Amino acid sequence: MTVLILTGEEDVTADMVVVHLNASSVPVVRLDPADLTAGAALSGEYVHGSFRGHLSAGGRLVSVSGLRSVWVRRPGVPAARAAQPSAWLTEEAAQALYGMLRGCAARWMNHPDAAPRARHKPWQLWLAQRSGLPVPATLITTFPQAAREFAERFPDLVVKPVSGAHPQEPPRAVPTSRVAPEADFGAVAYGPTLLQRRVAKRADIRLTVVGDTLLAARKATPADADPDEVDVRFATSGTPWLPAEVPPRVAAAVRTYLREAELAYGAFDFAEDADGTWWFLECNQSGQFGFIEVETGQPIARTIAEWLAHPTPRGREQVNGRRTVAP
Amino acid sequence: MQPFALNYARPAVEREVTTPYVYDSGLQLNVTVDGRIAASDHALLRELGTTTSTAGSKTHFDD
Repeated sequence: MTVLILTGEEDVTADMVVVHLNASSVPVVRLDPADLTAGAALSGEYVHGSFRGHLSAGGRLVSVSGLRSVWVRRPGVPAARAAQPSAWLTEEAAQALYGMLRGCAARWMNHPDAAPRARHKPWQLWLAQRSGLPVPATLITTFPQAAREFAERFPDLVVKPVSGAHPQEPPRAVPTSRVAPEADFGAVAYGPTLLQRRVAKRADIRLTVVGDTLLAARKATPADADPDEVDVRFATSGTPWLPAEVPPRVAAAVRTYLREAELAYGAFDFAEDADGTWWFLECNQSGQFGFIEVETGQPIARTIAEWLAHPTPRGREQVNGRRTVAP
Repeated sequence: MQPFALNYARPAVEREVTTPYVYDSGLQLNVTVDGRIAASDHALLRELGTTTSTAGSKTHFDD
């Protein structure tokens, strides 16, 4: 039984997992949907009441029924590298590939129905609350007056993109930023704006969850850190990521979150305050983990490989892959 | 008419990193010019930052 990894060639983080799968002699096929019709191929036959499908990439051929798991890591846009790419061909290729794979009995990390929903930050906040995770007071609004009133109730705010996406014309990054006390909220009317109470943090937490395994890392905030430097991805702090223990209540809540989200993998970001409370910020369903493993030595890639290599449960996946979460 | 959040935007830093490894379709792994598996070289990965959580990705918003 084969592990199918959907990702690009340049994804060296996926390599970290492939190394472990190779060491365990688990067959792997790595396919970038962007290569469909130009290096990657597919075929599926629905005849006499049964389905037989095959995928090919890099000179390897695998039967869809022979897949034990599918890791949707960093797949390219389907058919993006075809001889004559088009939006229509992309849709055709996406429907053919993901439609065929949805019918297989493999375990998913993460299921293509669960993943898009899990990307919605407002939904993440709702699910985190429901799962028992502390969530900083947050407002998402296009009403300037609502923003002003929120700022009166919570004077120390940050702003961040609702989607987590960044504008590309021209390419810009929108880090989580501290809102100036005298900010004019008039421009809130021109786009949904996510305002959140700033957590005076003493550390950033990245909690990587693979199935039922929790691997937390903590990056302490220096005592002399600039309070305006909110976003750890842009911070200049040289403090290292170190392994951390997960408080039992957080562990239980995170497992509830992933079960409800029907995710097998999630990278949670928390801000730890002076009381030691972990405030939920977001859960990236395909968050990077390589940098954490490199710094902490935590066996994240090996844990992913073990999850992917787990024997396939017989029978069909339920809608949204309830069984994608390891028991 | 600019949305409020874009008041806090900054130019994206496009990292022009020349990775000292290439994909080997036989191995399904990236390999350095001297034949080592790039993913096993943590010092190299740390130096290049290719496994790092970033912001401003054109193609992925999950980091």
